[in-house]
Amino acid sequence: MSDHTLIGTRMPRVDSRAKVMGKAKYTADLKLPGMLVGKIKRSPYAHARILNIDTSKAEALPGVKAVVTGKDTEGVKWGVFPYTRDQQFIQVEKARYIGDEVAGVAAMDEETALRALDLIEVEYEELPAIFDPMEAMASDTELIHEDFPNNINIHVNIDTGNVEENFEKAHYIREDTFMASEESYFHAEPYAVVARFDHEDCLEVWCPNAGPHMKSKPLSNSFKIPLHKVKIKKIAIGGAFGGRSEICPADYICALLAKKTGKPVKIVFTREENTIATRQGHAMITTHKTGVDREGRVLARESTCYMDGGAYSSTGPIATSVPFLSMEQAYRMESVRYNGYRIYTNKPIRGMIRVHGRGFACGVDTQLDMIADHLGIDPVEIRLKNSRQPGDYTSTKSYVSSCAMDETIHKAVEKSGFKEKWGKLPPFHGIGIGTNSVQTGFPMGIRGGSQSFIKFNEDGEATVMSGVVDNGQGNENMLVQIAAEELGLLPEDIHLVNADTETTSSDPGSYSQVSTFVGGHAVKIAAENCREKLFKVAAKVLKVDPQELAAKNRLIFVKDDPEKSIPIKKVVRISLLNFTSVNAEGGYWPKVDMKREWVKNPYGQMCEAFSFGTTIVEVKVDPVTGQVEVLEATAAQDVGYALNPLILEGQFEGSVAMGGQGGMLTEYHEWMDGRCINPTMLDYKVPLACDMPRINNIIVESIDPKGPYGAKEAGMSIAMSAAQGYSGAVSNAIGVFLDSFPLTPDKILAAIKEKQTRQLKQENADKTEGN
Amino acid sequence: MLLPRFDYLDPKNLEEALDLLAVHKEDAKVLAGGTDLLVRMKKGLLTPKVLISLKSLNELSYIKEEAGCIKIGARTPLADIIASGPVQDNARALSQACEKVGAITMQHYRGTIGGNILQDNRCHHYNQSDFHRSGHQACHKNGGKTCYARENADRCNSTCQSDGSTALMALGAKLVLLSKGQERTVDLDNFYTADGIMPHDMEPHELLKEIIIPINGARSAYKRLAYRSAIDYPIVCAGVLVRPSDSQKDRIDEARIVVGAMGRAPLFLAQASSSLKGKKLDDTDAFKKAADASMDSAATFAVHNVGSTLEYRCSMISPLVLQGLKEAASEK
Repeated sequence: MSDHTLIGTRMPRVDSRAKVMGKAKYTADLKLPGMLVGKIKRSPYAHARILNIDTSKAEALPGVKAVVTGKDTEGVKWGVFPYTRDQQFIQVEKARYIGDEVAGVAAMDEETALRALDLIEVEYEELPAIFDPMEAMASDTELIHEDFPNNINIHVNIDTGNVEENFEKAHYIREDTFMASEESYFHAEPYAVVARFDHEDCLEVWCPNAGPHMKSKPLSNSFKIPLHKVKIKKIAIGGAFGGRSEICPADYICALLAKKTGKPVKIVFTREENTIATRQGHAMITTHKTGVDREGRVLARESTCYMDGGAYSSTGPIATSVPFLSMEQAYRMESVRYNGYRIYTNKPIRGMIRVHGRGFACGVDTQLDMIADHLGIDPVEIRLKNSRQPGDYTSTKSYVSSCAMDETIHKAVEKSGFKEKWGKLPPFHGIGIGTNSVQTGFPMGIRGGSQSFIKFNEDGEATVMSGVVDNGQGNENMLVQIAAEELGLLPEDIHLVNADTETTSSDPGSYSQVSTFVGGHAVKIAAENCREKLFKVAAKVLKVDPQELAAKNRLIFVKDDPEKSIPIKKVVRISLLNFTSVNAEGGYWPKVDMKREWVKNPYGQMCEAFSFGTTIVEVKVDPVTGQVEVLEATAAQDVGYALNPLILEGQFEGSVAMGGQGGMLTEYHEWMDGRCINPTMLDYKVPLACDMPRINNIIVESIDPKGPYGAKEAGMSIAMSAAQGYSGAVSNAIGVFLDSFPLTPDKILAAIKEKQTRQLKQENADKTEGN
Repeated sequence: MLLPRFDYLDPKNLEEALDLLAVHKEDAKVLAGGTDLLVRMKKGLLTPKVLISLKSLNELSYIKEEAGCIKIGARTPLADIIASGPVQDNARALSQACEKVGAITMQHYRGTIGGNILQDNRCHHYNQSDFHRSGHQACHKNGGKTCYARENADRCNSTCQSDGSTALMALGAKLVLLSKGQERTVDLDNFYTADGIMPHDMEPHELLKEIIIPINGARSAYKRLAYRSAIDYPIVCAGVLVRPSDSQKDRIDEARIVVGAMGRAPLFLAQASSSLKGKKLDDTDAFKKAADASMDSAATFAVHNVGSTLEYRCSMISPLVLQGLKEAASEK
């Protein structure tokens, strides 16, 4: 790999300067001529029948240009899957959560738009609301969606067989239940959308997204206009984390207002709207029953998970599956059965999130620690006994090619001093380990692949077109880095056109961790094809075989005789004079099992590569206050190949912040009757830079045979294993296995006190016995 | 979120400011740093017709030692107080409290001590958007008759989360309030109403001019708990002061224990405080008893309305008071 000039280097991101200087334009920054301000009227009731909506007063208000309600929508229901179409973009019959969309307005300015919202009179009949998923599931009569009995939205059942038999054979079995509350993303950028219909009746939309093509199709369907007339435009994005994977009702409402007024309309969410009316992570109750042999190898596991899905399906089938999949990828199991239930409640909609099921993941690892404790082995040993190995098939029949799970464990253990510290730390001082795996992609049918086009300009610079979107993780830099490397250009010679449905081809989007693996791969192939064309021309000029050539620093040269070279710019010009194209395309489609489906057939090749991560965390708990001081986090991930260690380290650190420091210690939502009590950045406790511990980043490479340069998913395995590492460390520090997440000081303190009381009782009992 | 409309007035001196206050009275709000006021206005909790800015009133920004006291102008930035030698030497609790307010940038550029003292009480059912507060009945503080924090409460149970006030009450501070042609000095102890809706005993036309802290050889400390190390209000806090006796240097002549973020005002716990009179400065048992007594008294005032759990917040009173007492007593 040493012959690369850019790939593998710590190249600073091409987009950083504009972002840190405040020059990058986000959706809320856009100003179009004649643009109106849009606002959304939301239900203040958790569950209510909509009897009547009177918009006349709002429409009569000077400055109001349009008011839209469910009547304007033709009643189309949206859902990510054909079997989950349960959400209208503006509700007609009833509102199902506090925040559900009931109307939209467009006005000259924000003040007028807000006044208009107040003037819309909605007559509701309040219905009994259900906030607890177990209560919702127990009810036959109180249905949030009529056609979903017991409010069960999704049921995923996975069964490899032999579960009972293997439990019979097990040396030790335990069953434990873990709880976790819901969490939010707190993207730096609150959601915003700008929409307009141009003079050709094309719908132009700017909005944060995790794949522009995932936005254009539903809009095309809803407005019954051809796909080529829906243009999702490129714009800087301030975070997604799984919460911006699908169409947002605001996109539709904004476009509808634009259509009705004939003017551009901008909707910018408040922080509260971004919390309650986009997506949240699922709250869940998970029971793991695990049977192991004498050595601690898992023979059988049965996991049952009840997920609080909120009011609508969203990406429900995926979100109900991924917590289980991450586990089955990380750990070998002889047999396993999974029942995941996603249940409707009258709460905000839950979707995908960077840490898929903190309750599930931390439950698996906490239970492994419990089993290790029982068997008298340490947490590292039990993980190594069950860790995924290259060449394995997962329980749901995905072949795992590259896998350096063990190496991530060994390196993290060594760096953190785990072996020296385990069992030897002073009281209330603990260390914990978490291991996890994330898939590089999902089966996505016709949208599973990505295509790229490259055109050379006459000055020898290139324009690269790709559907890949950058939500902040550095995808744009990744594309530029790959294109410049393959074309022999400098990063500044590449003009990237991306994430724009008008000019770029279909792409799976960034939410399945597949941007580098698929989208980057497509750019790599396009660049190779383009280079091949240039080499043919250059070879004639240099009078050598094209295979003898290489490209670097804007030059094409003979590998064995670098003095013999020609500037790329000259090759481009010669090509054009000789009627030879200097454009090229490339595409990449991962070979996955197209028959695999989340609910109907959850077996078969899931994706081509899996990443593996280990995080070890060392903490000190204050036994008086229950507050946790994190001394150090050591994060090691098998990323396949590190295209840019600088960016990877940023991803690791962000993952520790989101999955560990925030996700395990402070972040949860509080509710009162379906009302979110802490929707703002002040009240929802996202950790700050000054709260973060020292982080050791360890990049492990396994060179995936399919990935571009051997690369695969990077970062998310750390977010998930960090959650597990944090929970393990706190449990170790206080000597109690904790089962309710996040681990807030009140819970930690209660656990310490309970343990002390138990010990005291035991001592008294011993004394009595002694007497 | 959009600020509601208001007229902005920028008086050039104290006299002008008091004139404007006398004219506009309850229609006006005083704008110092704005970190409390503007946030509440954006949430629609407050719609003053007039904002009277203290921007030009540099005469209200000072820290001086005078007549055995530290006098601090109400508009003094928190950063100046943190950096002040006299405050560190004689009123360490205040210094420690100011360090915890918001974040360093706010302490430097926005937050003032006057604003910190006069910040409104908070409640996680009240400090919400118009949208959040719609769809159910208005609470006491929002003009209604319900309390979401305590069932059947006949009045508002909002919580005073001011770090500064808790520390200053422990320090036995006084406030100087001005109005056109008048000046009054009030003990911070007596500055609070028992009403969460209007927690401060202050007329709309009055302006906080100065905070006076006695210099009397007392030692003090401020302790607080929050979720984060910055940009977070305390969920429980304690300001304590111990003044050694002039005759017996190792004995306590006066102690003041104040618990904050647990009630409508910082709670001066008279009994727990007086229990320490005559006790030795290293009498940990006495400290522990006083801390537990503080917890028993203060906990009855608290409601679940500022995050975490009520049980946890209450149980933290004693450890914070104890830590504070130990730290103050061992101050050199």
